[in-house]
Amino acid sequence: MASVKPENDDAKIEILKNALYDAIIQHGSDSRLFSQSDLFDLNVIPNGNLPLLLRVIQALTNDKLLIGVTNNQGILAGWRYRSREDAKKYTSLPDETTVLVYQAIDEAGNDGIWKRTIENRVNITDAVMKTCIKILEQKGYIASMRSVENPNRKMYIRADLRPSDRATGGPWFNENGELDDHFIQELQGIVFEFIKEQGAYHQSKGASSNNGSLKPPKNGAVTASPSVVAGTKRPAQEMASDNVTPTATPVKPAAPATRVLKKPEIYLPRPAGYKEYPTIPTITQYIHDLGITSNVTLGESDIKQLVDILVYDGVVEKIKVGKRLGYRVIKPTKQCLVPYPDRAKQRAAGINVDLPYTGLYPESNGLTEAPCAKCPVFSLCEEGGTVSPSNCVYFLEWLGLEKRKKGEEEGEAVNGVNGDLKKLAVGAPP
Amino acid sequence: MISVTKTVAELLSLIIDEMYGELPSRIFSMLLKRGRSTAHDLEQALEMNKSKLRHGLAVLQQYNLLYWHVNAGAQHAFYEANVENAYNLIRAGKILEMIGASYGGPAKDVMQNLLLSGQTRIGDLVAAYQEKIELDNKAKEAAEDPSSYKSPLPVKDTSTLNSVICRLVEADLVDLVHHNSFEPPDDIVERAKKEVTDKHFPTGIRGTKAKIEFDEKLSERLREFRSESKALKRKLEQNGSAAKRRKLAGGVGLLDAEMDPALDLNQVIRINYEKCMVDLRNRRLVQYAADIFSDTTSYVYAEVLKHLTKDISRCRLDPLVDRYKEDDKPAQLTVTTAEILDRVKTSLDLSLGLGKITREKLSRRAAETICPYPPTKNVIIGEAEVQGDASSDEEGPEQSTDDEDFDSDYKPNGINGVNGQAKVDKSKPIVFSRPDQLRQHLLLLAESNQKFVRQCAKDEWTVDFELVMDAMRESEIDLAIENTAGQRGLRLVRILRANGKLDEKALPQVALLPKNEIQRTMHAMHEAGFLNIQEIPREAKADVKKSFFLWYTDLNRAQQNIINKSYKTMSHCLQVLETLRHKEDEVLAHTKRSDVKGHEEEMLKAEFFQRYKRFLQCEKMLLSQVMRVDDLVAVLRDF
Repeated sequence: MASVKPENDDAKIEILKNALYDAIIQHGSDSRLFSQSDLFDLNVIPNGNLPLLLRVIQALTNDKLLIGVTNNQGILAGWRYRSREDAKKYTSLPDETTVLVYQAIDEAGNDGIWKRTIENRVNITDAVMKTCIKILEQKGYIASMRSVENPNRKMYIRADLRPSDRATGGPWFNENGELDDHFIQELQGIVFEFIKEQGAYHQSKGASSNNGSLKPPKNGAVTASPSVVAGTKRPAQEMASDNVTPTATPVKPAAPATRVLKKPEIYLPRPAGYKEYPTIPTITQYIHDLGITSNVTLGESDIKQLVDILVYDGVVEKIKVGKRLGYRVIKPTKQCLVPYPDRAKQRAAGINVDLPYTGLYPESNGLTEAPCAKCPVFSLCEEGGTVSPSNCVYFLEWLGLEKRKKGEEEGEAVNGVNGDLKKLAVGAPP
Repeated sequence: MISVTKTVAELLSLIIDEMYGELPSRIFSMLLKRGRSTAHDLEQALEMNKSKLRHGLAVLQQYNLLYWHVNAGAQHAFYEANVENAYNLIRAGKILEMIGASYGGPAKDVMQNLLLSGQTRIGDLVAAYQEKIELDNKAKEAAEDPSSYKSPLPVKDTSTLNSVICRLVEADLVDLVHHNSFEPPDDIVERAKKEVTDKHFPTGIRGTKAKIEFDEKLSERLREFRSESKALKRKLEQNGSAAKRRKLAGGVGLLDAEMDPALDLNQVIRINYEKCMVDLRNRRLVQYAADIFSDTTSYVYAEVLKHLTKDISRCRLDPLVDRYKEDDKPAQLTVTTAEILDRVKTSLDLSLGLGKITREKLSRRAAETICPYPPTKNVIIGEAEVQGDASSDEEGPEQSTDDEDFDSDYKPNGINGVNGQAKVDKSKPIVFSRPDQLRQHLLLLAESNQKFVRQCAKDEWTVDFELVMDAMRESEIDLAIENTAGQRGLRLVRILRANGKLDEKALPQVALLPKNEIQRTMHAMHEAGFLNIQEIPREAKADVKKSFFLWYTDLNRAQQNIINKSYKTMSHCLQVLETLRHKEDEVLAHTKRSDVKGHEEEMLKAEFFQRYKRFLQCEKMLLSQVMRVDDLVAVLRDF
């Protein structure tokens, strides 16, 4: 059929080609997949003429305006279209190899593609690859890029695309692909402060024990023992001691109703069932409203990542109230009252430098306090060995003996075993 | 259970040396080294003469540090070291302090005497006290003004002593010594197994059903063995416990000594460490709650625990002994809000320690969730991994209305819980009545991620000790990690804990830390034993360059690691103390003289006295350090 009236036929195909392409563009974005029946339904190809359709598609594909897409079994699943400008880039390339290279880079999208991957896929040598890349770079179609995941790999991306978050590492990386530690720390501090303020109750100084509107306490003010009021820790034995032996903790004498109890400024836990613990959306909104991250927009997933870090750091915890997953600070009563910005300023001025950015001083227990915890030769240390508890200098220092030894005369030092019997220290027995 | 490693053996012999001298310590460590041995074996191994050895063994037995076993018809007894009790010697100070705080001075004094003299016949104890009291009476007569004379004795007459012992027995802190007390536990199990087989399964045990039945019978029999030491407690309880009698008498008397039955003077009593550990655990939990919430809340928690653990006799159940049939499982221990309210001191202001809240911000429904069954561990992990802030698949129908769930006409249980205003201003802080304030603290504890308490029915509370202790153990391990590798190290470990095994390359994204820092920290923690690494080859050749390296963390291993480190640290403290003692031999020799003892300041030369004082200070520091390390061991191993 084609051989009968080739010229007439070519012209017809040319017309149909344009008509079909225009119709396709009208029906969706360049990511839409058009199946064969979709293309028939566009009513461009008359009478369901399959061979004709195939010829038109072939022509479009040759012009790089259509891309055949195969599914994972390798069977043709349909076609996507490519814009005329993009297609022009392809047709302007000098040879098939360069086209294939460009195609690989194009398909990789904004993730970019590793040079070696292209070589393997197109099956070309390094030298050929170089010339191809040179051509493409000269034309300004591609650009080299760096991915956070593999910073040493030479990657390429289409010049008109921006590298994806996966490649740049999202908002947490700076332009050089390095982790922006300072930015993260600052933001973490701000988020922590927000969770602390919202997730715990900030009792301000000197508030009265009962709100003004409350009923006056019966038979005088019922107050806690003084230590409780002071917010200091009561020793456990005091708590455990109650009731078996009624200890004589003096109950404060009936105070006049006008007396106002002084309360310390402190964070207190919110009562159970508190519905407004900050959640990821509220924190995101807060950061957004603050406007401190002017050049990057932080989505909920970014904030979630940040809050997760705080959870992993052990400074905030998840708390589920009903179905609402919020966050609150742990150990609220122990939290530092200095808000984060002030803390940062203090740090800059050299005060409280050892206080962590978020949360509390690391606590200690019996094991971590002993000199053995930080001893570099702990595993070697053994009675009878070269390093042994009996000649341990760390312990002497810890007991406050080492310093004295330096300061005092030899004879008096703790290891002055040169027992001088003349110095008999005991007074004569009666 | 303590597994006897080299470090443990070293530590135990050091402890015994510290408490009871070198002879028992040498015998004990030889017993640990050789296992079960006869006196003859020990004599040979220690190259010690017979009388000395007998003396040492007697000391060990007096202090419950020995098991012995005589085969029927055999000539010699076999001795075995009682490792648990030897370790418990470290805790003597803590136990005394705890008894003093919760049972008063007299009880502490009696307990101290029991510690000093090991197991004792009640008659001997009474006689010893009698002597002291008589001396004291003489001193009183000799005093210038007998009416204003203050006796230094905590126990002033023998009837007080009797009732103190009764109290301690009722609290299960002291139990009876009987003929099985010195039988090695393994032997008891073997004996019980044999008895059960002979009696119920003479033809052997066949099939799974019979196996289960055998296990049940066995644990029943073992429980019988165990209950022998509780005979006295049961007897006392038959008369009604002290609290009950007090109630019946309608009085509030402190120690109603007259009402206690006189004890059989021939019975031998000793300290029951297992129960002491339960009480020590309570104190530790209270402290934990105070750490996480506030002191007021922890006070409430202390009351809950005290009430709940009255009938708990050990921290961890023995899988062999505490296996019950489905239908006679001991009932869950619970306490009601009203019961706690009755016990909370009136001087405690329950409004403290919690933030104010307005009606509109409070979800009663969420706070008051009732969980009749303890959550399984899987559920906790599942819950922890719920992302986002609303998941529809959880909780079910009872949670259907989230708003408007604060019923304004909610009636609290207490009598004075009156919230009867007709119009409720939702934006004003809620004013709670005292019972409701108490409930608020309990609810806070129930809501916590550590699962301090669980509301198992309306206003009924229980504690799932395993869950709380798991949380506490984890926090102790985290603390150790934080002190070794800093906050960032902790972050990495917790990421691994939440995610399982992770490739090193995946970590920077999650942890938001620079790669090289991660590498450094991970290796440091690997060295410290908190992390492990697994190599997975990508292909058959197992090329190292291409292999994956997955990091993971093992809580149990880390825990074991810390425990071992703790043992070693404790040994070191004791060894340093020994060294110091050796160095100050000169001074200490003088202080041992009977004319100097008690008058060190006047009798010793100033320089010597300074050295003596410094030594005492060091001794105190080192011993308290041992106690503190033991606190950690107790949490990780025993509670």
